[in-house]
Amino acid sequence: MKQTDHYCLPLKTASDLPDLKFGKLTPIATGDETSRAFQLLDTFDDTLSGAGKLLWDTGETLELLTPRDGLLRQPATRSGPFVTDLADGPVKAALGEVSPLRALLPVGEGDIQETRLSLVDGEQKTRVRINLRLLTTQQGESVAIVTLQGLRGYDKALAQVRKQILASGGAPLGEGSIYATLFPGRAGYVAKPAILIGQDEAAYHAANSIIGTYLPIARANEKGIIDDTDTEFLHDYRIALRKIRSVLSLFSGVYGEKATLRLKTRFSELMSPTGRLRDLDVYLAEKDKFFALLPATLHPGLAQLFDMFADQRKEAQTALSNHLKSKAYRQEVGDLVDLFAKGKKIKRGPDADRPALDYSRALIWKRYRKVCRIAAGIDAQTEDEEVHRLRIQCKKLRYLMEFFGPVFPRAEFQSILKPLKRLQDNLGLFNDYSVQQDNLRALLDDLGRTSEKKNLEIAQSVGALVAVLHRKQLEERAKVMKSFGNFNSKTTRDTFRTLFHDTEGKK
Amino acid sequence: MKIIACYSNKGGVGKTATAVNLAHAFAEAGSRTLMCDLDPQGASSFYFRVKASKKLKDASFFKDVERFTGAIRASDFDNLDILPANLSFRDFDIFLSRMKNSRSRLKKALKAGGSDYDVVILDCPPNISTLSENVFRAADCIVVPVIPTSLSEHTFEQLMDFFKANKLERKKILGFFSMVQRSKKLHRETEDRMRKQHRKRFLDTSIPFTSEVEKMGIHRAPVATYAGNHSAATAYRDLYAEVMAHLK
Ligand SMILES: Nc1ncnc2c1ncn2[C@@H]1O[C@H](COP(=O)(O)OP(=O)(O)O)[C@@H](O)[C@H]1O
Ligand SMILES: [Mg+2]
Repeated sequence: MKQTDHYCLPLKTASDLPDLKFGKLTPIATGDETSRAFQLLDTFDDTLSGAGKLLWDTGETLELLTPRDGLLRQPATRSGPFVTDLADGPVKAALGEVSPLRALLPVGEGDIQETRLSLVDGEQKTRVRINLRLLTTQQGESVAIVTLQGLRGYDKALAQVRKQILASGGAPLGEGSIYATLFPGRAGYVAKPAILIGQDEAAYHAANSIIGTYLPIARANEKGIIDDTDTEFLHDYRIALRKIRSVLSLFSGVYGEKATLRLKTRFSELMSPTGRLRDLDVYLAEKDKFFALLPATLHPGLAQLFDMFADQRKEAQTALSNHLKSKAYRQEVGDLVDLFAKGKKIKRGPDADRPALDYSRALIWKRYRKVCRIAAGIDAQTEDEEVHRLRIQCKKLRYLMEFFGPVFPRAEFQSILKPLKRLQDNLGLFNDYSVQQDNLRALLDDLGRTSEKKNLEIAQSVGALVAVLHRKQLEERAKVMKSFGNFNSKTTRDTFRTLFHDTEGKK
Repeated sequence: MKIIACYSNKGGVGKTATAVNLAHAFAEAGSRTLMCDLDPQGASSFYFRVKASKKLKDASFFKDVERFTGAIRASDFDNLDILPANLSFRDFDIFLSRMKNSRSRLKKALKAGGSDYDVVILDCPPNISTLSENVFRAADCIVVPVIPTSLSEHTFEQLMDFFKANKLERKKILGFFSMVQRSKKLHRETEDRMRKQHRKRFLDTSIPFTSEVEKMGIHRAPVATYAGNHSAATAYRDLYAEVMAHLK
């Protein structure tokens, strides 16, 4: 029944608001002006501001400004930085877009000054309510947010006030970032930036800009990993490095052979200390799922296993954090950043000067053909090894397509990327179940070497888990041929051919 | 959804004052409340500053749910909406007489149009008519203000007789003494006599006669909003609590 909308107002308009006339309606102040401290909260990747929402903590209450439901409140008490740590309440319920893996972090602080106005008609009857919130940071930057609240039966009045607010420079909340205004100079984080690559740009330059973009993205996550803020920092860090490594292996010929080899080694050395912690993060995140997979009788053993994982994670986290803080690491990663920031020092290879469009078409086509070749050889009897190969090639194809996406027509490109993602989901699960089994088997071997009674109980649960995971893997394995068929429809085949192979497909 | 009627077959006894203050008390306590102004004079709409409805005229109140809900206006208070009166409400009896099931049409209209609400409060015009029969059938309880005078006593007896004659549920009737001046011997005596006579029909709460209630016409707002600590405001809150208890 309540209808609200929010607008960012120019500061001048906001301060004039109490004296404005809205047609036949006049504003009157209701209640006292209030002022309280706020701390804005969002995830590292600004999930909330991206969704047009604003979340703040006043010390006593958590308040969420939403485009649909107006201002929601609940007590600020919470047991940790994640949405799941909040008490159940309207704010928590409206934070659906925030990943359960992402911590809510302070964006900045200041004061909120709140003024309530009623727009009344000739009978002094309220027809629209206005809430004016002026957010001012400690540095003195301000944003005015006006919330219009319509009243049942007075739609016309609301429409007219809205029109007037828009006409006087009001911008709907969510268009443009409030953070940028309140905290100028704040570096926003984007995990997947669109990298502009011109069609005629040299492949060498394209490779440099992709790597030059992802290195700082990896680095932006270092602090979060060191502080152990949430597990997504490490995840994003690894993805950024993996993308860089895939450029090095996929764009062979862009850099000189020796240079390529050298860079591959350097980046894989950055990557390797991160694997252990990531594996443990994944286990711990899947804890509930693992428990659901086993009958209750095996839960005690599983609980001990997870205690063990938790201990190991602590160690792994300290180790990685020390590594990232080390002088050697800082030196190395700094050197790499410099290298790609300048982008000239690396030896050029034979393909360095090929135009990006031409070059990427050839790479994508080649990779697509390879995917098709492997898939053609897969039937119910084929070794798992081949399915793994298919998965790896699909991943490479996906990276290539994402790097060069901006070079191709968007709609057609999306039409083949989507089915590819679905195929990859299937292959990804197949792989996860397989890797988890391998790891758990290795763990069983370790446990077998000692004869502690406690370990026996763990081993029993792990054994059962391996069996369940094996069954799950077989289920995914059985779907592979069908998923590939779904991916490689006639339309997909035709689109791949026109975009990446036919000569007339060139533009 | 519960329906509470503020009714008396006599004018000027405090029906409207009760409807307005009771509706406000229900809303304050968190019930989603709709106050329906069934009196074509529109006094309760006036107290809430809501203009008369233009579109909800003639039989549309009973026949057109969309018009009914479209005529609802938010009051200036949370949880409280108003269905303002329309002048053609004075011909309700004529419209009703032309309709089938003419004695249960009000209930049907309120159930359909008021489904968003926990409580619907009716401010009724003073007469015994087809409309009031509809009110008696639709309401879960009928709050009847009685000024403790002989004339009011007489009208109350008439109401009781009507319920008896028409086999209506007398249990629904919640009488209370309105505009009470305890300083007047007549008031005290009448009140005591009637309480004895109709033991189960009267609520404990009485509303005193006070200018604070009359001032509603100046403030155009419920008493609690401008004289929250006054005995009248307290009395209306007590009245709310007693009525609420009867709804359960
Ligand atoms: N408790 C009260 N004390 C003093 N005056 C009252 C009281 N209740 C109602 N009035 C006044 O008496 C008049 C009639 O009341 P009203 O509620 O309109 O009665 P009804 O709706 O039964 O005709 C109004 O002017 C009102 O202000
Ligand atoms: Mg009246």
